[in-house]
Amino acid sequence: MKPWMFNCKKVTQLLSESLDRNLPLYQRMGMRIHLMMCKFCSRYKEQLLFLRKTARLYSESSEDSDLSIQLSSEVGQRIKESMVRFLKKHE
Amino acid sequence: MNKQRSILNNPIENPEKWVDLYGDYLYRFALYRVYETTVAEDLVQETFLAALGSFKNFQYRSSIKTWLTGILKNKIIDHFRKQAKEQQMNDIESNINKLEDLFDQNGHWKIKPANWNADPQKLYDQKEFIKVIHKCLTGLPGRQASAFILREIVGENTKEICKILDVSTTNCWVLLHRARMYLRRCLEINWFANVNVRESI
Repeated sequence: MKPWMFNCKKVTQLLSESLDRNLPLYQRMGMRIHLMMCKFCSRYKEQLLFLRKTARLYSESSEDSDLSIQLSSEVGQRIKESMVRFLKKHE
Repeated sequence: MNKQRSILNNPIENPEKWVDLYGDYLYRFALYRVYETTVAEDLVQETFLAALGSFKNFQYRSSIKTWLTGILKNKIIDHFRKQAKEQQMNDIESNINKLEDLFDQNGHWKIKPANWNADPQKLYDQKEFIKVIHKCLTGLPGRQASAFILREIVGENTKEICKILDVSTTNCWVLLHRARMYLRRCLEINWFANVNVRESI
Protein backbone atom coordinates (compact mmCIF):
# COMPACT_ATOMS: atom_id res chain seq x y z
CA MET A 1 0.00 0.00 0.00
CA LYS A 2 1.38 3.41 -0.96
CA PRO A 3 1.81 5.77 2.02
CA TRP A 4 -0.57 8.36 0.57
CA MET A 5 -3.18 5.67 0.23
CA PHE A 6 -3.25 4.34 3.79
CA ASN A 7 -6.82 3.81 4.91
CA CYS A 8 -8.21 4.14 8.44
CA LYS A 9 -7.83 0.47 9.20
CA LYS A 10 -4.15 0.55 8.28
CA VAL A 11 -3.58 3.79 10.17
CA THR A 12 -5.09 2.45 13.39
CA GLN A 13 -2.71 -0.49 13.17
CA LEU A 14 0.27 1.82 12.63
CA LEU A 15 -0.82 4.12 15.46
CA SER A 16 -0.75 1.18 17.81
CA GLU A 17 2.62 -0.04 16.53
CA SER A 18 4.08 3.42 16.91
CA LEU A 19 3.57 3.02 20.66
CA ASP A 20 5.81 -0.05 20.62
CA ARG A 21 8.49 0.61 18.04
CA ASN A 22 9.96 3.22 15.70
CA LEU A 23 8.08 3.05 12.43
CA PRO A 24 9.94 3.34 9.12
CA LEU A 25 9.87 6.82 7.63
CA TYR A 26 7.41 6.08 4.84
CA GLN A 27 4.90 4.70 7.34
CA ARG A 28 5.27 7.73 9.57
CA MET A 29 4.75 10.00 6.59
CA GLY A 30 1.71 8.08 5.42
CA MET A 31 0.26 8.18 8.88
CA ARG A 32 0.83 11.91 9.22
CA ILE A 33 -0.76 12.67 5.86
CA HIS A 34 -3.78 10.57 6.76
CA LEU A 35 -4.15 12.13 10.21
CA MET A 36 -4.19 15.62 8.74
CA MET A 37 -7.23 14.68 6.74
CA CYS A 38 -9.05 12.29 9.05
CA LYS A 39 -10.70 13.52 12.21
CA PHE A 40 -11.69 10.04 13.34
CA CYS A 41 -8.21 8.59 13.18
CA SER A 42 -6.97 11.69 15.02
CA ARG A 43 -9.49 10.92 17.72
CA TYR A 44 -8.35 7.33 17.73
CA LYS A 45 -4.79 8.48 18.27
CA GLU A 46 -5.85 10.63 21.22
CA GLN A 47 -7.76 7.70 22.64
CA LEU A 48 -4.75 5.40 22.46
CA LEU A 49 -2.76 7.96 24.41
CA PHE A 50 -5.64 8.21 26.84
CA LEU A 51 -5.50 4.43 27.29
CA ARG A 52 -1.80 4.52 27.94
CA LYS A 53 -2.11 7.23 30.57
CA THR A 54 -5.00 5.45 32.20
CA ALA A 55 -3.06 2.19 32.32
CA ARG A 56 -0.22 4.03 34.02
CA LEU A 57 -2.57 5.50 36.61
CA TYR A 58 -4.08 2.07 37.10
CA SER A 59 -0.66 0.57 37.64
CA GLU A 60 0.24 3.22 40.22
CA SER A 61 -3.07 3.20 42.03
CA SER A 62 -3.01 -0.58 42.48
CA GLU A 63 -0.49 -0.06 45.20
CA ASP A 64 -2.26 2.20 47.62
CA SER A 65 -5.65 3.35 46.50
CA ASP A 66 -8.19 0.69 47.27
CA LEU A 67 -7.23 -0.33 50.77
CA SER A 68 -10.38 -2.36 51.14
CA ILE A 69 -8.72 -5.07 49.05
CA GLN A 70 -6.96 -7.27 51.57
CA LEU A 71 -5.78 -10.81 51.97
CA SER A 72 -8.37 -12.80 53.86
CA SER A 73 -7.22 -13.91 57.30
CA GLU A 74 -7.41 -17.58 56.26
CA VAL A 75 -5.13 -17.02 53.31
CA GLY A 76 -2.80 -14.91 55.45
CA GLN A 77 -2.67 -17.78 57.91
CA ARG A 78 -2.03 -20.30 55.15
CA ILE A 79 0.87 -18.25 53.86
CA LYS A 80 2.37 -17.89 57.32
CA GLU A 81 2.16 -21.63 57.87
CA SER A 82 3.78 -22.34 54.52
CA MET A 83 6.62 -20.01 55.50
CA VAL A 84 7.15 -21.79 58.78
CA ARG A 85 7.20 -25.14 56.97
CA PHE A 86 9.64 -23.73 54.44
CA LEU A 87 11.99 -22.61 57.20
CA LYS A 88 11.87 -25.97 58.97
CA LYS A 89 12.72 -27.72 55.74
CA HIS A 90 15.68 -25.44 55.07
CA GLU A 91 17.13 -25.32 58.54
CA MET B 1 13.95 2.17 57.71
CA ASN B 2 14.87 1.61 61.33
CA LYS B 3 11.52 0.13 62.04
CA GLN B 4 11.90 -2.25 59.11
CA ARG B 5 15.41 -3.18 60.12
CA SER B 6 14.43 -4.09 63.64
CA ILE B 7 11.63 -6.29 62.40
CA LEU B 8 13.81 -7.92 59.87
CA ASN B 9 16.80 -8.39 62.07
CA ASN B 10 15.29 -11.71 62.71
CA PRO B 11 12.91 -12.47 59.88
CA ILE B 12 13.61 -16.13 60.09
CA GLU B 13 12.04 -16.30 63.50
CA ASN B 14 9.21 -14.02 62.62
CA PRO B 15 7.84 -14.64 59.14
CA GLU B 16 4.35 -13.71 60.30
CA LYS B 17 5.41 -10.11 60.51
CA TRP B 18 6.18 -10.01 56.79
CA VAL B 19 2.71 -11.18 55.92
CA ASP B 20 1.11 -8.67 58.30
CA LEU B 21 3.21 -5.80 57.01
CA TYR B 22 3.30 -6.39 53.28
CA GLY B 23 0.72 -9.09 52.51
CA ASP B 24 -2.18 -6.79 51.66
CA TYR B 25 -0.04 -4.50 49.60
CA LEU B 26 1.42 -7.34 47.54
CA TYR B 27 -2.01 -8.88 47.15
CA ARG B 28 -3.44 -5.66 45.71
CA PHE B 29 -0.47 -5.31 43.42
CA ALA B 30 -0.99 -8.86 42.11
CA LEU B 31 -4.76 -8.66 41.88
CA TYR B 32 -4.60 -5.53 39.72
CA ARG B 33 -2.54 -7.48 37.23
CA VAL B 34 -3.94 -11.00 37.21
CA TYR B 35 -7.58 -10.34 38.31
CA GLU B 36 -8.21 -13.77 39.80
CA THR B 37 -8.15 -13.79 43.57
CA THR B 38 -6.81 -17.34 43.88
CA VAL B 39 -4.01 -16.66 41.41
CA ALA B 40 -3.11 -13.44 43.24
CA GLU B 41 -3.08 -15.25 46.58
CA ASP B 42 -0.79 -17.96 45.25
CA LEU B 43 1.56 -15.40 43.76
CA VAL B 44 1.83 -13.62 47.11
CA GLN B 45 2.60 -16.90 48.82
CA GLU B 46 5.27 -17.78 46.25
CA THR B 47 6.74 -14.31 46.69
CA PHE B 48 7.13 -14.68 50.43
CA LEU B 49 8.67 -18.15 50.08
CA ALA B 50 11.11 -16.92 47.46
CA ALA B 51 11.92 -13.97 49.71
CA LEU B 52 12.68 -16.27 52.63
CA GLY B 53 14.93 -18.33 50.40
CA SER B 54 16.93 -15.37 49.19
CA PHE B 55 16.82 -13.14 52.24
CA LYS B 56 20.49 -13.63 52.98
CA ASN B 57 21.26 -11.89 49.69
CA PHE B 58 19.16 -8.88 50.58
CA GLN B 59 21.51 -5.96 51.12
CA TYR B 60 19.16 -3.22 52.28
CA ARG B 61 19.95 -1.39 49.07
CA SER B 62 16.24 -0.90 48.55
CA SER B 63 13.33 -0.96 50.95
CA ILE B 64 11.89 -4.35 51.87
CA LYS B 65 8.69 -3.35 50.14
CA THR B 66 10.48 -2.57 46.88
CA TRP B 67 12.46 -5.77 47.13
CA LEU B 68 9.35 -7.89 47.68
CA THR B 69 7.53 -6.08 44.87
CA GLY B 70 10.41 -6.92 42.54
CA ILE B 71 10.10 -10.59 43.39
CA LEU B 72 6.35 -10.45 42.90
CA LYS B 73 6.76 -8.79 39.52
CA ASN B 74 8.88 -11.69 38.34
CA LYS B 75 6.31 -14.14 39.66
CA ILE B 76 3.60 -12.29 37.74
CA ILE B 77 5.65 -12.51 34.55
CA ASP B 78 6.21 -16.23 35.16
CA HIS B 79 2.48 -16.59 35.56
CA PHE B 80 1.84 -15.01 32.16
CA ARG B 81 4.52 -17.22 30.65
CA LYS B 82 2.92 -20.38 31.99
CA GLN B 83 -0.52 -19.23 30.98
CA ALA B 84 0.65 -18.50 27.44
CA LYS B 85 1.94 -22.06 27.13
CA GLU B 86 -1.45 -23.42 28.07
CA GLN B 87 -3.38 -21.11 25.81
CA GLN B 88 -4.10 -21.93 22.23
CA MET B 89 -2.76 -19.62 19.58
CA ASN B 90 -6.26 -19.17 18.27
CA ASP B 91 -7.18 -16.37 20.59
CA ILE B 92 -5.07 -14.15 18.38
CA GLU B 93 -7.80 -14.77 15.85
CA SER B 94 -10.72 -14.42 18.21
CA ASN B 95 -12.47 -11.09 18.35
CA ILE B 96 -11.24 -10.57 14.83
CA ASN B 97 -14.75 -10.34 13.44
CA LYS B 98 -15.85 -7.78 15.95
CA LEU B 99 -12.86 -5.63 15.05
CA GLU B 100 -13.46 -5.99 11.34
CA ASP B 101 -16.98 -4.73 11.90
CA LEU B 102 -15.59 -1.35 12.87
CA PHE B 103 -14.41 -0.80 9.29
CA ASP B 104 -16.08 -1.08 5.90
CA GLN B 105 -14.67 -3.00 2.93
CA ASN B 106 -12.42 -0.10 2.01
CA GLY B 107 -10.97 0.14 5.49
CA HIS B 108 -12.87 3.29 6.43
CA TRP B 109 -14.52 3.71 9.81
CA LYS B 110 -18.00 2.25 9.98
CA ILE B 111 -18.41 2.85 13.71
CA LYS B 112 -16.69 6.19 14.12
CA PRO B 113 -14.73 7.03 17.26
CA ALA B 114 -16.57 9.54 19.41
CA ASN B 115 -15.10 12.71 20.81
CA TRP B 116 -14.15 11.78 24.40
CA ASN B 117 -12.77 15.11 25.39
CA ALA B 118 -11.61 13.78 28.75
CA ASP B 119 -8.69 14.07 31.09
CA PRO B 120 -7.57 10.66 32.38
CA GLN B 121 -6.32 12.14 35.62
CA LYS B 122 -9.71 13.64 36.46
CA LEU B 123 -11.63 10.57 35.40
CA TYR B 124 -9.40 8.38 37.42
CA ASP B 125 -10.64 9.91 40.64
CA GLN B 126 -14.03 8.39 39.98
CA LYS B 127 -14.64 4.97 41.43
CA GLU B 128 -17.17 4.10 38.75
CA PHE B 129 -14.62 4.75 36.03
CA ILE B 130 -12.11 2.38 37.60
CA LYS B 131 -14.82 -0.27 37.75
CA VAL B 132 -15.41 0.11 34.02
CA ILE B 133 -11.69 -0.20 33.33
CA HIS B 134 -11.56 -3.35 35.39
CA LYS B 135 -14.51 -4.76 33.52
CA CYS B 136 -12.99 -3.97 30.13
CA LEU B 137 -9.63 -5.47 31.05
CA THR B 138 -11.23 -8.71 32.22
CA GLY B 139 -13.13 -8.87 28.93
CA LEU B 140 -9.96 -9.15 26.88
CA PRO B 141 -9.21 -12.63 25.53
CA GLY B 142 -6.20 -14.44 27.04
CA ARG B 143 -3.11 -13.47 25.11
CA GLN B 144 -4.35 -10.01 24.30
CA ALA B 145 -4.88 -9.43 28.00
CA SER B 146 -1.41 -10.75 28.84
CA ALA B 147 0.22 -8.64 26.15
CA PHE B 148 -1.58 -5.46 27.17
CA ILE B 149 -0.98 -5.89 30.88
CA LEU B 150 2.68 -6.70 30.38
CA ARG B 151 3.15 -3.72 28.09
CA GLU B 152 1.09 -0.98 29.69
CA ILE B 153 0.71 -2.00 33.30
CA VAL B 154 3.85 -3.98 34.11
CA GLY B 155 5.83 -1.82 31.69
CA GLU B 156 7.78 -4.45 29.75
CA ASN B 157 9.16 -3.76 26.28
CA THR B 158 7.78 -5.58 23.26
CA LYS B 159 10.85 -7.74 22.80
CA GLU B 160 10.51 -9.17 26.30
CA ILE B 161 6.79 -9.67 25.87
CA CYS B 162 7.34 -11.72 22.72
CA LYS B 163 9.66 -13.98 24.66
CA ILE B 164 7.34 -14.30 27.63
CA LEU B 165 4.33 -15.13 25.46
CA ASP B 166 6.41 -17.10 22.98
CA VAL B 167 5.04 -15.33 19.90
CA SER B 168 6.70 -13.60 16.95
CA THR B 169 7.24 -9.85 17.06
CA THR B 170 4.57 -9.33 14.44
CA ASN B 171 2.08 -11.34 16.43
CA CYS B 172 2.96 -9.32 19.47
CA TRP B 173 2.08 -6.09 17.70
CA VAL B 174 -1.13 -7.64 16.45
CA LEU B 175 -2.07 -8.69 19.98
CA LEU B 176 -1.41 -5.21 21.35
CA HIS B 177 -3.26 -3.54 18.50
CA ARG B 178 -6.31 -5.72 19.00
CA ALA B 179 -6.23 -5.25 22.77
CA ARG B 180 -6.12 -1.47 22.43
CA MET B 181 -8.83 -1.49 19.80
CA TYR B 182 -11.04 -3.56 22.05
CA LEU B 183 -10.37 -1.54 25.18
CA ARG B 184 -11.08 1.82 23.61
CA ARG B 185 -14.32 0.49 22.14
CA CYS B 186 -15.24 -1.00 25.50
CA LEU B 187 -14.62 2.31 27.28
CA GLU B 188 -16.57 4.15 24.64
CA ILE B 189 -19.58 1.89 25.03
CA ASN B 190 -19.49 1.49 28.78
CA TRP B 191 -18.40 4.91 29.87
CA PHE B 192 -18.38 7.65 27.27
CA ALA B 193 -21.70 6.76 25.67
CA ASN B 194 -23.39 7.18 29.05
CA VAL B 195 -21.49 10.34 29.89
CA ASN B 196 -22.48 11.96 26.62
CA VAL B 197 -26.11 11.06 27.11
CA ARG B 198 -26.02 12.64 30.54
CA GLU B 199 -24.41 15.78 29.22
CA SER B 200 -26.82 16.22 26.36
CA ILE B 201 -29.86 16.11 28.63
